[in-house]
Amino acid sequence: MSQAENPTEAQSWSEWIRERDYPSAAGTKPEALDDLVVLDLSVANMAGLVCSSFLSEFGADVIRVEPPGGDPARGFAPFGLTQNGTGLGYLNEGRNKRHMTLNLETGEGREIFRGLAAHADVVIESFPPGAMHAWEIGYRQLAPAHPRLIYCGIATYGQFGPRAAHHIPDSDLVAQALSGVTYVTGLMDEGQGDPAAVPTKQGNWHGWFVGGVWAAFGILAALCHRMATGQGQFVDLSPAEALMRSADYSLGLLKLAGRVRERMGNLDAGAFPYTYVRCKDGYCFLSGFVDLNWQALCTIIERPDLRDKYPTVPERSRPDNQKKIHAELEAWATQYTYEEILHKIQVYDRTVGKGAVATGKITEPAEVVQVENWWERDALRIVEDAHYGELLVSPPAPKMTRTPPRLKWVCRPVGADNGAVYARFLGYGRDRLADLRSRGII
Amino acid sequence: MAVPDYFAWTKQLFDPAGAFRKPEALRGIRVIDLGTIFLGPSTVSYLAEFGAEAIKVELPGIGDPLRAIGPIYHRNMSLFMLSEPRNKHFIGLDVRKSRGAELFRRLAAKSDVLVENFRAGTLDEWGIGYRQLREINPRLIYSGNNGFGQWGAFAESGRASYDAVAQAESGMAAITGFPGRPPLKSGGYVGDYLGAAVSAAIILAALHWRDRTGEGQFIEFSQTEQLIRSLDWTWLAHRLAGVKRTQHGNRDVAISPGDIVPCADGMAAICAPTDAAFAGLCRAMGRADLAKDSRYADAVSRAREENATALLEVIRAWAARKTRTEIEGLAAQHGFSAARVANARDHVEDPHWQARGQVVRTDDPLYGEIWNYGSPPKLSATPARVKWVGKPIGMDNNYVLRDILGLTTAEIKDLEAEGVIGKWANRPGQKPPDDWAGEGQAL
Repeated sequence: MSQAENPTEAQSWSEWIRERDYPSAAGTKPEALDDLVVLDLSVANMAGLVCSSFLSEFGADVIRVEPPGGDPARGFAPFGLTQNGTGLGYLNEGRNKRHMTLNLETGEGREIFRGLAAHADVVIESFPPGAMHAWEIGYRQLAPAHPRLIYCGIATYGQFGPRAAHHIPDSDLVAQALSGVTYVTGLMDEGQGDPAAVPTKQGNWHGWFVGGVWAAFGILAALCHRMATGQGQFVDLSPAEALMRSADYSLGLLKLAGRVRERMGNLDAGAFPYTYVRCKDGYCFLSGFVDLNWQALCTIIERPDLRDKYPTVPERSRPDNQKKIHAELEAWATQYTYEEILHKIQVYDRTVGKGAVATGKITEPAEVVQVENWWERDALRIVEDAHYGELLVSPPAPKMTRTPPRLKWVCRPVGADNGAVYARFLGYGRDRLADLRSRGII
Repeated sequence: MAVPDYFAWTKQLFDPAGAFRKPEALRGIRVIDLGTIFLGPSTVSYLAEFGAEAIKVELPGIGDPLRAIGPIYHRNMSLFMLSEPRNKHFIGLDVRKSRGAELFRRLAAKSDVLVENFRAGTLDEWGIGYRQLREINPRLIYSGNNGFGQWGAFAESGRASYDAVAQAESGMAAITGFPGRPPLKSGGYVGDYLGAAVSAAIILAALHWRDRTGEGQFIEFSQTEQLIRSLDWTWLAHRLAGVKRTQHGNRDVAISPGDIVPCADGMAAICAPTDAAFAGLCRAMGRADLAKDSRYADAVSRAREENATALLEVIRAWAARKTRTEIEGLAAQHGFSAARVANARDHVEDPHWQARGQVVRTDDPLYGEIWNYGSPPKLSATPARVKWVGKPIGMDNNYVLRDILGLTTAEIKDLEAEGVIGKWANRPGQKPPDDWAGEGQAL
């Protein structure tokens, strides 16, 4: 169809797609996973919570099964900060979930769980490997009566392998430390005994976050297989392994060059320049690692001599040259503010346009919230939560034309959905629940 | 049933040696990779490791910049290309030429998923964007992955982006590193790889919707927005308590105690995410008294700044006298969370990661033995597998053009002559090994 024949194509692409995936219309559209019931039994584990958040944002009916005292993750509280008794770490990942309680350490609690699991498409748990099995509610016991079940266990060392039985409680710190990413992140040791020149973790719970995402991926891959065959399966996810995958070629380097990849500060393990440099009002990113983009960068900073001095990718990538180039770029960048640098790059794009230089501003969270682009894009939103009040949250990032993910509510208190969940799945009413409560089962 | 029996059962259930004898979860799903570097291409790799048929489309004689960068070359291939692309077919096709775009449309008509990572509107301009492709394939799931999305001030100003830009603009770099020191770029491309994993999971959700309804759709994915989403309690604390989150080195300021500390022979992470783990750590340190101290009675009290720093002082003094192996042993014995800061050598030398198929030794058709990290989730019935890694540009032209698109030899020759399709240039990163004798092509 030519443009003349189709008047909508007179619209720019950005206008066209914005009309079709604008997040405020998400509530009027269907949900990709609204045929799934998920039981999230994870305990003190943000990877489990991130996993079930992903599924719930896409429409799955996620039921958090907490011990009667609440998930210890509700105590994950930065500097001790809580809101209505729930730590802010948990609060962020309670989204769209129903919250019920059940004491799996009692025989009666486990019997109730079997009844719930019969309704579930997916079970997520993070107990010590083998604990659910010993309670006779693990995958091996549930699957014969429920072959469609997809069961995901989350543990630092996974469900098999020599260390699997030597259980340790999972943590983001351990996932990051074991991944190999922490080993290669951090300031370089200049031999001055600098206590900050050490392997350094990502500031956020990155090990747990990427672990939760990979768990969701594994569950959804299993769901594809189930759609084709009717068969469920066991998904084993280690957050440490999840982040390990982000250490990309580290094993190949060891095998082929016999060397361990080391920290490089803000220099780069792939190519250069691809780095953060000081500028007049903070720090900014500058790039130009392939030849065409390097030439563009040298034109923008008016240094044709550097173009000739470091003409190839391998020459620019040598660690000693990286340091020299970094110093040259920083000497240039410190003369300008970030906005001035961005402007120079955009002028080059419009007037010369050969090659592309990317820049970016190193932005503290307190400044991120002032960037209009993120509010326009719904990357940040203020919501009025029924239980926790007015909150600043980050809604799901993807925009989609047909089944966009969405944020319905932020969190609920311990046991808030007991009445609704027990009635719906097991027909337990007020008297039965009162009895279970009196005996510490819920 | 006794627990030891559990590990005998899981060992057999998940045995990586049996992976190639099991079915693949995503068999029959055809995915086109029109991306460069990681954000698009790794998304496709993650799907291909579970059985999707992936077709990577590159410019003849130029190809993905991953071919031109990285620390070493092996048999004419860059290390990145031996690591990140998995199980893909490689074709050289210039989609900017009209006949190339026409071939690409034919390929999209016979595909399930397209992943690209250009700036907003690039493919639309070339006549192969979602507006055009949905007309010929309404079942197509099209994922546009980039730094700033498809609309909005940043996207519409045409800004280019990379992983490190996303780390910078999301706030991630500013909260990574030590107080008063420069913001830190991760040593890994964590924004790309997290983004790719999320993108692959979104595609699977969209495939599930398509299985139910037959409907394809457009997915707009901004890796910067995904990193904003991944900064856990940052935004809540900003508004509720005015916390301007900044750098805290290796401390976990929400789970106390938690830090990466120097030991007698290197660094190790130590963390107590529950009361029981804290009591275990105190026992291991011979300081059971701390577990009874009212300042440390519960997680929220332990996380208060003065209490957290006091605890970490005790832990640092204790850990400095212990080796990493001793600390790991005590963690398993007493039930707290601890492990060394591991590097590639630790991964290879620990039999655990090998037994799990996390350290994968692939016998590649072109490059021989290559070591890589496996796909993270281990699936009992449909495990991931690595069949081969990267290949030269255009290595599978014949398979894609003849077998999938039904072109004749004469048509293929004509397209080659016009430069619409093509292969590698004679340079490392693009061309086959010097002793190549035709291995590794899908014909």
